[in-house]
Amino acid sequence: MSRTFDDLKPVLELFWRGPRRKLLLGMLISAATILSGIALLGLSGWFITATAIAGMSAATALAFDVFSPSAGIRFFALARTASRYGERLITHDATLGTLAELRERLFRGSSERRAAEELRMRPAKLLFRITQDVDALDSLYLRVLVPLGAAFAAALAIGIALGLLHPIVGIAAGAFLIATGLAVPLLAAHAAERPARRRAHALEVLRSRVIDLVSGQTELVMAGRLTAQCRKIADADRKLADADDRLNLVETGVAAAFGIANAVLIAAMLLVVTALAKSGDISAPVASFAVLIVVAALEPFAALRRGAIELGRTRLAARRIGPRLSIETSPQRSDPPNGIAVSLDRVSVRHEHAPQSLLRGLSLSLRSGERLALIGESGAGKSTLLGVIAGEIPIENGSIKSVPGTLLTQRTELFADSLRDNLRLADPNADDSEISQALTAAGLGAYIAGQPNGLDTRLGEGGLGLSGGEARRLALARLFLRDTPLWLLDEPTEGLDGATARDVIGRLKANANGRTLVIATHIQREAEIADRLLIMKRGHVVASPRRGEAAFETALAALRQD
Amino acid sequence: MSGPLDIATNKASAALQIAASLLWLPQAALIAVAIGDIANAADSERIGWLALGVLVIGILRAFFESTGSRMAFRTARAAVTTSRNGVVTALAAHSPLDQARPASGRAASVVVEQAEMIVPYLARFEIARMRAVFVPVVIFVSVLTLSWAAAVVLLIAAPLIPIFMALIGWRAQQASEAQLIETGGMNAFLLDRLRGIATIRSLDAVDVTARRLRADAESLRQRTMAVLKIAFLSSAVLELFSALGVAMVAVYVGFHLLGQLGFGTWGAPLSLSEGLFILLLAPAFFEPLRELSSAWHDRAAGRAAREELTRLATTNGPRMLGTGCDVQRTAHVERPAPAVYIKDLSFRYPASETPVFDHFDLSVAPGEHVALLGPSGSGKSTLLALLAGLTTSTSGAIAIGGYPLTDESAAALRESIAWIGQRPHVFAGTLASNITLGRSSDPENVASALHFARLDEIAKVRGLTTVGENGIGLSGGEALRLALARIAASANVALILGDEPTAHLDAVTAQEITDNLLTLARNKTLIVATHDLRLAARMDRIVDFRHLRLEKAA
Repeated sequence: MSRTFDDLKPVLELFWRGPRRKLLLGMLISAATILSGIALLGLSGWFITATAIAGMSAATALAFDVFSPSAGIRFFALARTASRYGERLITHDATLGTLAELRERLFRGSSERRAAEELRMRPAKLLFRITQDVDALDSLYLRVLVPLGAAFAAALAIGIALGLLHPIVGIAAGAFLIATGLAVPLLAAHAAERPARRRAHALEVLRSRVIDLVSGQTELVMAGRLTAQCRKIADADRKLADADDRLNLVETGVAAAFGIANAVLIAAMLLVVTALAKSGDISAPVASFAVLIVVAALEPFAALRRGAIELGRTRLAARRIGPRLSIETSPQRSDPPNGIAVSLDRVSVRHEHAPQSLLRGLSLSLRSGERLALIGESGAGKSTLLGVIAGEIPIENGSIKSVPGTLLTQRTELFADSLRDNLRLADPNADDSEISQALTAAGLGAYIAGQPNGLDTRLGEGGLGLSGGEARRLALARLFLRDTPLWLLDEPTEGLDGATARDVIGRLKANANGRTLVIATHIQREAEIADRLLIMKRGHVVASPRRGEAAFETALAALRQD
Repeated sequence: MSGPLDIATNKASAALQIAASLLWLPQAALIAVAIGDIANAADSERIGWLALGVLVIGILRAFFESTGSRMAFRTARAAVTTSRNGVVTALAAHSPLDQARPASGRAASVVVEQAEMIVPYLARFEIARMRAVFVPVVIFVSVLTLSWAAAVVLLIAAPLIPIFMALIGWRAQQASEAQLIETGGMNAFLLDRLRGIATIRSLDAVDVTARRLRADAESLRQRTMAVLKIAFLSSAVLELFSALGVAMVAVYVGFHLLGQLGFGTWGAPLSLSEGLFILLLAPAFFEPLRELSSAWHDRAAGRAAREELTRLATTNGPRMLGTGCDVQRTAHVERPAPAVYIKDLSFRYPASETPVFDHFDLSVAPGEHVALLGPSGSGKSTLLALLAGLTTSTSGAIAIGGYPLTDESAAALRESIAWIGQRPHVFAGTLASNITLGRSSDPENVASALHFARLDEIAKVRGLTTVGENGIGLSGGEALRLALARIAASANVALILGDEPTAHLDAVTAQEITDNLLTLARNKTLIVATHDLRLAARMDRIVDFRHLRLEKAA
């Protein structure tokens, strides 16, 4: 129980700091709905019984005040409708509020360097998990907190109402409601914990196996493993079904337990009111009221059923998302001495769990305005070095000083947004003329002119709708809007055809304006704009020839040309 | 495909759950009689028996309800498994060359997440629907036998059940769609931005993006609430009718018992117990309708899932050859390098007018290394795919080592064929499991294959424990090394087909991959489709596809 609370704490804190009022109001109004329903039935029972007794003689029948109770009945009927409508609106509004809160915080937390690095390492798994996890957390308020609050309020109100008839009855009924209402969901949550986790795991396994089947179909069929893969998928489906079956068993058990508890409560209440009526402590209409209000008394607790079953999943989600909700402060970089753009002193980088280093004692000093190309086979550490200079990859040993830089990532990263907002990421204050200027500089002037919506043209997810060349040029325009003294370019023209690539490089060169450039590349045309090459091999610097030296030309000539 | 899903709603389970709902009638009757007894100050021993009856029926109800819902759940679960298997089999046989074949991400979300939506649809919604049809009718008839006036009240409160249900469904669907779009939109924004987090960080745009995310979420919230305000009115209407129905029944019965409303029964006035019985039935009359309305969103999601699954299972795209069963590799047999004969081969994509090949002939000698040289789109990759049986030719014949390639022989022929593509898939798992792909194989063999492709060294630097979907991504060069290691580990290979293996590599890596490929291809037949001149230059023979086409045209 306390561990559950510990896991959920960061999320609950987030809710509490956020739309707290709405959340509490939602619980209250939900309790009001339940209570009006119960009161409607109880009062009706009282009314019918009282009228039946009064109706036995004409005198009492005439003296009977029919108006207050029937007005009360109508009031509760309307109150239930109104509060039900209000409940649905307010709880949904509150849920949407928590959704926004959770996602904003999750985004900020995931943008921290460590989290971002993790995301870069395992994008598929983490992105899938994040979606599944936030969905699981979304139900925390509606499925757990609201019914919990409402059920407690209902148990309390029923206890007090019955307590007015007879203190012992009130205490006994209230205690029974809270005890069963809590014990059953708690037991269920406990029993469902493992199957809920197993189910989440089975879904992930099933997903990765289906992806392997579709993406790896050629490899599988060539290895004679295609039907074996289908069997593996069927296997994962069986595990999923097993876990789901356990969960359903628990859920059905909860429903049955509540059904039986309800029957026990009604039967017991019948016996109690019989005894009380016999001793003259209560009248028959009051007895009827008491029995009818317990008929639906367990309903609010039954609403906890799904929440209890899903609590295990919710906890898992909270445990995984929780750390991402806190924001660490990034270490401050110190500036290099004047005239130097980047200075690395015996820098080593090692992946977590990796026995060997990616960069080993690498030192480098780059003057302001210098253009450096990093070359070497894939895996030599070029991208790692760029990441280190950009401050994206933590170093194990050594020290680094650098002026502020902007990294142009190897994969073009654009967003589902308007062209304008894609570009304004680089400079939120840029106006349309500056944006158009940057686009023209990147060679997209004609493209923009051809778009009926101009800068309002919307891109699809990941920049969908643009050709590879257009996307790269857009990334370039975005870079041009960034006024940092250092640009870090990771294979800036990879995947472009020769003519486009040369044009892009020319534009880069033209817009660099004395900035320091570091380019990771294996293509001749990209390396050619450098004043110096840094030839890397397995995390070491092999040589660092400058333009004009023979080694520079030799190394350049060995690169791929298109 | 649609068969198992349609019949999946188990009649017996529905009957049990309807029976559970109807058991409320005797239970309510006992409660009503007991309260009547209290009012009449009757023998309390009888009330004891009545209370026991309430308890026993309550237990019976719980038993019926849980047995029924378990049965419904199991049937629904089995239906999901059946349709999932159907889709998986269809996906497995669908030729990878078909452009219309679903992308892995889409296939996974349909087969995995969407398929799960079918369970609540079949197990919850369908049962709720049947309950809403039967239970109110039985309750109405029961009330009618006691009091036509109370029955009329119920009838007025629930004017015409089908119209009512349509109204609920229509609005509830709008509501659930609005919510789906809402959360879907927010998640899409979040994922889209997280995918490009490196760029956002690099542009110092984290704060801007976070505030934008918040503002978007806020405006989406307002728009959704505007839709929900109207959509929830429908459930409010249902609520209002059911609450007023109960209230009107109570007030009518009260006034009737008081003697002020004498009409409405079949002769004698109602007794207290009869009145209470009617009152207790009133909420139960509306309950199935409320349950149905709350299960309505399961219907939309379930039906959408069913449609998607059916679509994936019944695509008529081109199929691969020999996907019926896997051929278990026989123990290590050295096979002689085969000759490859292609005779009169024609191939046309289903959607295309112009054929990729028209009566194409080629023969490759045993152990010969041949480059198919040409720009992308010239058909060289298609030819390789035809040789591996990854798609079906329009006409013509292919023979490998003297055996014709057919649907029957394909699986057996592939035993001695290895494939290396331009972007090999990396499977979720370890490097070793990526080599074996689940086949039994000697660990030493795997280790030496990894060493051959220099993957052991890379694994040390990168800390590669798990790779693929759930693990660390591999670079293009690393994935190709993996494909090479896979070939190195399988001793039976006699023919290697390479589909632009060096297309996305830097010069140094391409050189190394080429060297390794040629080492592996020693004494084997090798056919490589490429536009890399350095690779082509190291083959015994070059078939120039551009030239070939020109020749055809001439």
